[in-house]
Amino acid sequence: MMRTAVWLVGALLLGGIVHIATVFGVPHFAVNDPWREVGTLTGDGVFVRLPRAAPGVRTLSGLDPAMTHAACRFSLDNGPVRIRAEVADGYWSLALHDRRGMWVWGVDNRAAEQKPIDILIASHVQVAQLRESLPDEFEDVVIVDWPSQEGFALYKILVAAKSREAEVEAALATARCTPTPLP
Amino acid sequence: MRFLVELFATLVIALALGLSTAWFMVSAPRIGTGVGAWKAVPAVSADTADPYTRARVARTGEIVLGAGEGLVFIAEADDDGRPLDGACDYRISGATPTARLWTLSMVDDAGGLPASVSGRTSLTSREVLRDAEGRFEIAVAATARSGNWLPSHSRGAEKAILRLYDTPLALSPDQNMRMPRIVRGTCR
Repeated sequence: MMRTAVWLVGALLLGGIVHIATVFGVPHFAVNDPWREVGTLTGDGVFVRLPRAAPGVRTLSGLDPAMTHAACRFSLDNGPVRIRAEVADGYWSLALHDRRGMWVWGVDNRAAEQKPIDILIASHVQVAQLRESLPDEFEDVVIVDWPSQEGFALYKILVAAKSREAEVEAALATARCTPTPLP
Repeated sequence: MRFLVELFATLVIALALGLSTAWFMVSAPRIGTGVGAWKAVPAVSADTADPYTRARVARTGEIVLGAGEGLVFIAEADDDGRPLDGACDYRISGATPTARLWTLSMVDDAGGLPASVSGRTSLTSREVLRDAEGRFEIAVAATARSGNWLPSHSRGAEKAILRLYDTPLALSPDQNMRMPRIVRGTCR
């Protein structure tokens, strides 16, 4: 009896270790994390309009069906990435996610006061370089200090009514994400 | 011999226990503040996300709302605790916590949206009709209803997803939030 109890306690402790190791291990072994999913729909360094969530349509999971989305997967290997986009009236949001799909930085229509989006994503090293000599063209650009080398941007705009769809699509189509090599 | 058998049994139990509990915690959002039938999905940011959320996002490839964007609520049952079922009509009524915008949609187990004659799959705070005190009443049904109608699936398990954008609650959801009530109507 005592002997069985000891084995059971051992099983519980070992089970706890397996549990923790599994949970922490999943992000390293997952094959369809958001970054890869975005990669199946878009190429790197270009904004692609995502299919709108609708019955029977394959798109990224977790997208709000009331919004239209465009995504761009980026890498900072060839210099900081500049994101520019025109905005539409009403709600919109630009979110930057890291390699693991976690939200890092974002801006929405209230924070931006309906000004066009113009940001520069740079790694720690690139930010240091920019601090040393900021090219004139980046004077009014918001610089985002990026914790790693990769990530993706998701630009979403609310479609308040069917009649607004054309305007929203036009704004989405202006989104650009371009690697901008530093001099 | 007895020792080996016991060791083997212990290892099997440990693996089964560890893996099944890990799968349970990672397969859906399990941690979060609950209010009535609604459960808040913890807001996600790279600095603060818990390991379960990280694992779930990595496994499902799901795009989550960031901590600075808003807050998502999921309801899998009505106010009486009965699981939401496409064969039933529901009334979602009341008010939501303060937010600049909210959207409501119904999805099935696989996250699929319902097909309906209107082609609409969501209802937003911009469209919803309210009474004099700002409260709304939404009819959730597979076939068209008058007033605020949110199309649902015609059968099978369902979830209601309420997304609040730009809400002061995003970082600290609490028990005193006013969430809409979900009441079951007739079933087919």
